[in-house]
Amino acid sequence: MTDQIAVFIPPHSNIAQRLRKRFFSSAMNSVITIIVGLFLAWAVWNVFNWAILNAVWASPDGTSKVCHGIEGACWAVIDVRWRLIIFGLFPFEEQWRSTFACIVIVMVAIMSCVPFFWKPMRLGPLWVVGFAIFYTLMAGGVFGLSYVGPADWGGLTLTVFVYAAGVLIGMPTAIALALLRRSELPVIAKTTGAIIDAVRSLPLVSILFTAALILPFVLPGFLVGDKIWRVIIGFALFFAAYQAEIIRSGIQALPSGQEEAAKALGLTYWQRINRIILPQAFRNALPPTINQFVITFKETSLIVIIGFFEVLASGNAAFGSGEWSHAWVEVYCFVAMIYFVFVFSLSRYGAYLERHLRVGQH
Amino acid sequence: MSNAAVTISGMNKYYGSFHALKNINLTVQKGERIVICGPSGSGKSTLIRCINKLEEHQQGSINVLGTELDDNVGNIDQIRREVGMVFQHFNLFPHLTVLENCTLSPMLARKMPQDEAENMAMTYLERVRIPEQAEKFPGELSGGQQQRVAIARALCMKPEVLLFDEPTSALDPEMISEVLEVMVSLAKDGMTMLCVTHEMGFARQVADRVIFMDQGEIVEQAAPEEFFGAPKNERTQNFLNQILSH
Amino acid sequence: MTALLQSRKFRNTALQAGYLGFFLFLLIAAIVIGKHNLESQGITMGFAFLERATGFDVGFSLIEFGPYDTFGKMIVVGLLNTMFLGILGIALANIIGLIIALFRISNNGILNAIGTLYIETFRNIPLILQAFFWYAVLTHLPHPKQAVNILDSIYFSARGLYFPGLNVTGGAASLFFLALAIGLIIMIWFSIARRFNKIPKTTKSRIRMSIFGIAFLIGCIALVIGRIPETPLVSVPVLKGFNIREGIRISPELGALGIAMGIYGGAFLAEIMRAGFLSVGKGQVEAARSLGLSPWYVFSRVHLPLAFRAVLPTLINQYVWLFKATTLGIVVGFTDFFMVISVSINQAGQTLELIGILMLGFLVMNNTISFVLNRVNKAIALKGTQLRT
Repeated sequence: MTDQIAVFIPPHSNIAQRLRKRFFSSAMNSVITIIVGLFLAWAVWNVFNWAILNAVWASPDGTSKVCHGIEGACWAVIDVRWRLIIFGLFPFEEQWRSTFACIVIVMVAIMSCVPFFWKPMRLGPLWVVGFAIFYTLMAGGVFGLSYVGPADWGGLTLTVFVYAAGVLIGMPTAIALALLRRSELPVIAKTTGAIIDAVRSLPLVSILFTAALILPFVLPGFLVGDKIWRVIIGFALFFAAYQAEIIRSGIQALPSGQEEAAKALGLTYWQRINRIILPQAFRNALPPTINQFVITFKETSLIVIIGFFEVLASGNAAFGSGEWSHAWVEVYCFVAMIYFVFVFSLSRYGAYLERHLRVGQH
Repeated sequence: MSNAAVTISGMNKYYGSFHALKNINLTVQKGERIVICGPSGSGKSTLIRCINKLEEHQQGSINVLGTELDDNVGNIDQIRREVGMVFQHFNLFPHLTVLENCTLSPMLARKMPQDEAENMAMTYLERVRIPEQAEKFPGELSGGQQQRVAIARALCMKPEVLLFDEPTSALDPEMISEVLEVMVSLAKDGMTMLCVTHEMGFARQVADRVIFMDQGEIVEQAAPEEFFGAPKNERTQNFLNQILSH
Repeated sequence: MTALLQSRKFRNTALQAGYLGFFLFLLIAAIVIGKHNLESQGITMGFAFLERATGFDVGFSLIEFGPYDTFGKMIVVGLLNTMFLGILGIALANIIGLIIALFRISNNGILNAIGTLYIETFRNIPLILQAFFWYAVLTHLPHPKQAVNILDSIYFSARGLYFPGLNVTGGAASLFFLALAIGLIIMIWFSIARRFNKIPKTTKSRIRMSIFGIAFLIGCIALVIGRIPETPLVSVPVLKGFNIREGIRISPELGALGIAMGIYGGAFLAEIMRAGFLSVGKGQVEAARSLGLSPWYVFSRVHLPLAFRAVLPTLINQYVWLFKATTLGIVVGFTDFFMVISVSINQAGQTLELIGILMLGFLVMNNTISFVLNRVNKAIALKGTQLRT
């Protein structure tokens, strides 16, 4: 077993040598390479056949007839139903708004990856403005745009909305929770700690369920608000509880001398937090923070359970109606691809940052 | 207004049940330079950290520049602006450049305009003889350079009193002298200094008074000639024998 | 007055009291308003409903359950199902994770590639989507008559997966596993608790074996007692008419969740385990090899234990996380704890009590997992600091 542990490959060996070392270093290794390689080739060939060679890509008449009796994938379902999956039940002629809204949020997300924006005074306004544009485009009611209430949003747009709003509310909450948990006052620290731990040990589904269906019972009438906002608050709270612990560990990784030096210079509590503690804590906590963003994005899909028509539900609906019911694999693959693109690029970026920060550490 | 910078009387400090400082009485006049020495764990660092309230005392009183260090919230930041501190491990802010390290507190705590703060910072960086490093990050400097930046940073607040907490003990031997030179020149300019250090040569050269602490008590205090020449207390003698024998 | 406000002690006390008071106020206000709202709907607070009959059946249960059983019993059924699914999913995830981790650290290029492909694919797709997918796969299997048949004893059909099993009651089977689990916990406790340090090693391992033997024996007795009378001991699934009878049936719901949790969790666990293997210093492995240990001993006595110690804290978090993922049962209709609670809320209307039970249940289960595993972690952690290169 141990001789399978990665061996050091000298950087300047030629390609043939390296290939031999990677694939045929011993008899055992060669056997594995050949058997597994054949199996892999067979699997890849079959998938390729199904997904590309024998697939039907479009349905000119919008019905599922083109897919009868074919051996490959029926991508025609995506061709016919992609609007439903991406936009949900958003009014057809207003769907350009939904498109622009998504583009704005994705642009903002990409801009946040540029170090220039890594300052609270830049990142905060960037997101608030981006989110405001998103919301205005989606909801309308001003600038001659017709009003479309959140109840009619759906598909990928709804997923992006809940995610962005949740993180936007959750981040400041997380910082507040982390600072409160580190408070010198024992009652405040312990109470906050108990709240964070309780939220963390509950499943997100139960928190969303409570927010959607139980809160209206226990809130005074004027606080009940819209279901989607209650769910976003619940979602933000869950994100904040996890993110607070990440920030806290980032703070704890700082040498105690940092805070002492700031104190000795006569900086006030908020000056110390803003200028000394948080900037360094975030730098320490950047890789797990990005990881948390990734996890949270995937968890946004859970709102389907409490009856929101997000991308997974609209996907289910896309093949749910009789004529496309055979195309469930294709629809799930499409939705999975959407998630994959978002999540994979974000996590690659996280991995890049981690390498980069380790090298560029001052 | 008396001429005392720091007056400590009947001060006691506990960590839980551990009696860290026992009945400390100490008056430091303005312009006075004091060196505190003693074996490790004797409470010398704790003592000077009490003066800017990085540590809290439980009994007795500490008066710094006419302000009583009591339970009053407003006093603490006020005092800390007037009392500078230099740490054993420098504690520079690694995410800020050398210049930003120096200008941060004047700009935030003293509301000084940026250009004024930068000019002043450059003056002090010249004073500690590293103006050319201003745009670098602390991690790119040697230990001795970092400690000199830390001194400049403390000076930028124009403190009345400067506390040194073993400023040279984390340094490689060849860097100690460059830091000590800066400290000597500060002393000559009449800065009020309380120095925890084992550098006995420095003590001889600049101290007005040397204080020996052991087990949380001030055991002996005297002018350097007297302290090194004829220590009265047996514990002081032992300590000096150990520290000067090599 | 200003002196009082400036006083730190006073301010601290006031702040703390205010903070705690704020949350207590929220909690009490919520309960008062909730009680008022429910009473206006004619629902009185209290736990009396737990004694009432539910009037409907649940899809999957480890213990006998019928429409005449109470809400209280249904909640127990849900709890058992959650634990069953949690253990099944985590066990699968561990197996898959270990295999993929070994793929990733192996020096064979193809195995590396498969490991990487596996992780990057399944880690980046939400668990719920995978659960949907596997549920669709399992329910699209052929009907029982055309079921995929392996050696006439394993059947895969749209009605479920059928395996040979024992003709015992569900309660007895649960007891069997419970006995094994308790035996295992006692064994671990016996191995790591300080008070047993003085016992010599050989006696210790003998006692360990007998603890396990006793637990196994108790489990077997439970199986024998719980045997369904007048049936053969081993029950093999057979096709009868339009359905498959006998044997153990894994419903598509349970199967989909178990597979999804195993595959998704496996991708995460593989990365954690890989990090663990890589964290073991090269020097340690070389030292073991230079002592002349066989590759298997180097792996099982040096590499694996050190890697395990390095990653246990991360693993604990992941287990708790996976355990919480059992709540996805509701999307495919598996009657786990969460689904049972939400069905009860619909049926009985005792919203606040049931949410309270739900939260309490998860707090207790998750804190038990992390408490037990953290104790293990503390007990096996390497003492002191040492150079690990």
